[in-house]
Amino acid sequence: MRILGISAHYHDSAAALVVDGVPVCAVQEERLSRSKNDASFPLAAIGWCLEHGGLEPGDLDAVVFYEKPMLKFDRILTMALREFPASWASFPRAMKNSLGGKLWVKGLITSQLGVPGKRVLFSEHHQSHAAAAFLTAPTRRAAILTADGVGEWATLSLGRGSISESGDAKIELFRELRFPHSLGMLYSTFTAYLGFKVNEGEYKVMGLASYGSPAFEPLMRKIVRRAADGAPVLDLSYFEYHRGARRSFSDRLAAELGPPRDPDAAIDLATPEGKRYADIAASVQRVLEDILVDLARSLREETGLDDLCLGGGVALNGCANARILRESGFRNVYVPSAPGDAGCAMGAALAADRLHFKRPHVEAPDHPYWGPPIDGAQLTRIAREDGLELAETAGEAELLDRVSLELARGRIVGWMQGRTEFGPRALGNRSILAAPHSAAMRDRLNRGIKYREQFRPFAPAVPLSKADRFFELPPGGARLGRFMSGVFPVRPEWRDRLAAVTHVDGTARVQTVDPEAAPRFHALLEAYGARTGIPVLLNTSFNLAGEPIVNRAVEGYTTFRRSGIDVLVAGETVVEKPRTRELAPEAVA
Amino acid sequence: MRASPSAVDVLLTPVHRWVWSDLDRRARKLLTFGQTEEDGARDISRAAERTADPALRILYLRHAADEQRHAVLFRKRGREILDSSRPPVFEANWLAPGERGLDGLDVGSESDQDLLAFLHLSEKAAAGRFVLYEEVLAVDPQTRAVFARILKDEENHMTYTRRELARLAQRREGWRLWRARAGRLWNAYLRVASAIASVFGTAMLALQYFLILPAFAALAKRSARREREGFAASRAETAFGGQY
Repeated sequence: MRILGISAHYHDSAAALVVDGVPVCAVQEERLSRSKNDASFPLAAIGWCLEHGGLEPGDLDAVVFYEKPMLKFDRILTMALREFPASWASFPRAMKNSLGGKLWVKGLITSQLGVPGKRVLFSEHHQSHAAAAFLTAPTRRAAILTADGVGEWATLSLGRGSISESGDAKIELFRELRFPHSLGMLYSTFTAYLGFKVNEGEYKVMGLASYGSPAFEPLMRKIVRRAADGAPVLDLSYFEYHRGARRSFSDRLAAELGPPRDPDAAIDLATPEGKRYADIAASVQRVLEDILVDLARSLREETGLDDLCLGGGVALNGCANARILRESGFRNVYVPSAPGDAGCAMGAALAADRLHFKRPHVEAPDHPYWGPPIDGAQLTRIAREDGLELAETAGEAELLDRVSLELARGRIVGWMQGRTEFGPRALGNRSILAAPHSAAMRDRLNRGIKYREQFRPFAPAVPLSKADRFFELPPGGARLGRFMSGVFPVRPEWRDRLAAVTHVDGTARVQTVDPEAAPRFHALLEAYGARTGIPVLLNTSFNLAGEPIVNRAVEGYTTFRRSGIDVLVAGETVVEKPRTRELAPEAVA
Repeated sequence: MRASPSAVDVLLTPVHRWVWSDLDRRARKLLTFGQTEEDGARDISRAAERTADPALRILYLRHAADEQRHAVLFRKRGREILDSSRPPVFEANWLAPGERGLDGLDVGSESDQDLLAFLHLSEKAAAGRFVLYEEVLAVDPQTRAVFARILKDEENHMTYTRRELARLAQRREGWRLWRARAGRLWNAYLRVASAIASVFGTAMLALQYFLILPAFAALAKRSARREREGFAASRAETAFGGQY
């Protein structure tokens, strides 16, 4: 049975292919179109998935869209009616958007792929999130919590998943929070208030929060109160997004919190205004965490299960995930590598396989590397044409020796290996790597390569078996770190020597690298550890600001040429930038 | 190759002078230019990834690096002005649009020759405007210096794109340039046409909103008032075949 999953039209569109119950490949459209957060119908991603699977569209048994377009339209229209006449300005835009294309998904799929309409299926948005989280996790019984901005109506769902001995999978969602009450929209609204791009700047709010104190918590508690059944309920007088206005927050919010940040102005944390922004970020982060922990704790009591699967864009909040693990009572918290809407492509395909076609469960390989592979020969050819110094290493040992030496010398390495990651994080196959020891390295990366705000932290990668030596991981923490989904304290004695990856509050969004999932990356960490005594590397996504993570070797090459990256590696080919100055190995011991 | 403003822009000099006279507006325009340059850097980098011509790849990469540097220069100056300016005023971007970058060009589907022709015209148009902006910014030597510095690069870009077009297209260089001009004109027409269609569509939908929706709105509001606060039971398992 061959099933294609598709997510599209809102942000981060993607396609995924499941064959005989096992994921075969998945890729976000942005990685192929090179347009960040590309939301268009993912023709390139679909084309690549079919090519990779050796299939024609006619070979597919089903194409599953990740949500129900008519139900979503029902919500859009109902909200326009409920907010009449305040919704007058947004109504034409919303109708043009829906009636002009987004509503006619079935027709779009049949016309673009040529598959008969009866083979086109639709999963519910939160069911897709739940399936992406539960059916890819190494567990057979787990509670499920999904939270995002909004799908059709649901913005948060609570439930449970189980797989019987015979392999029958079941996903049962008990209850849901409905739009306009939404934790995802709450966080996005403050992302916009703090002058960052929604659906992109949420990480910045989390990073900024560490610089502040939750001084606005009382106001936040007024903005989000709890209903008698524990559901978070927003005071909508502070918001505008449910009216579809151009701005997501209301004048009342600006009146009580002060003026919103001008997106074009720099944040200076030494000024009272900068401190106010950090305090607001800290306050909304605190309230979000408290609510999620509380919901997870009740779910644990209700289900009595040890494992929790988290899905939806809110599951990208590593600080909240770590608190859920520590405080909710669950022993394991599983977050997929793509918990957001892109991951719904895989979730929808798996949901159809297990729940619609009732096929027995097959365990999914536990790694995030589902995208196109790297072609080192492409880099060799281009570098030769451009007359760059080139080395084709003779095997893995020489490659690791060479790259670990470059890293120990303080050089920044663009590292491309194997298949590209599915999800927003680079997990060692399309990464920029650097020595994690000095704050100067963090500043060099921020200024010379990533061109981003100084307050944003970088993440460390560490071999799974050695993570506990450097980081204070609670039980289950190493698992949460597998896809960089948790933020944990760096052990105090290592903070000075891991300054480039230790955030201002002493934490880090650590990636624990399993040798079975990423053998070469793991071996590089070990080689670096053998050379320096510390098997930890700074790992940040291989892209420049505003661009998607690189996919092919040629994209890595142009990024390398345009930035301060010193060395580029694709497969076993190593290229150095001309006239890179020789640096002394960093003192790390 | 030297840049000069178009006749239309010369005629509009007083308008440009007015647009650039306000500090806040000036800052916002520079920041917008910064964004355009950054987008341009990305597109040209994409062109470098696609070309099979090694010489052209190096030129594209240099061009992309220049655009990235321009983005930094524009942003830095924009932020400096913004920090010292008063509250926002009417931005008037449509009166002095500056540059349009690659004008929505799909880099991925164009040949090197078409792309070079398009780039040449875009750079020429931008450089011409920058000459004018230098002139109207006599009161702000720092911003003027930014334009002067970037103008030199833009003129280099005009030169290399024309030279490479001549190398690749040989006798058909003029035809490629005319085709690119027609493409820019077509894009301009599409922008205007879709803006008009959008205004018309918005007006029709707004009319329906006020004529048809009020009765349904009353029902929807009444139903919303009856909804219980807090969690709702999730929908019973729905069929995968349905869209609702």
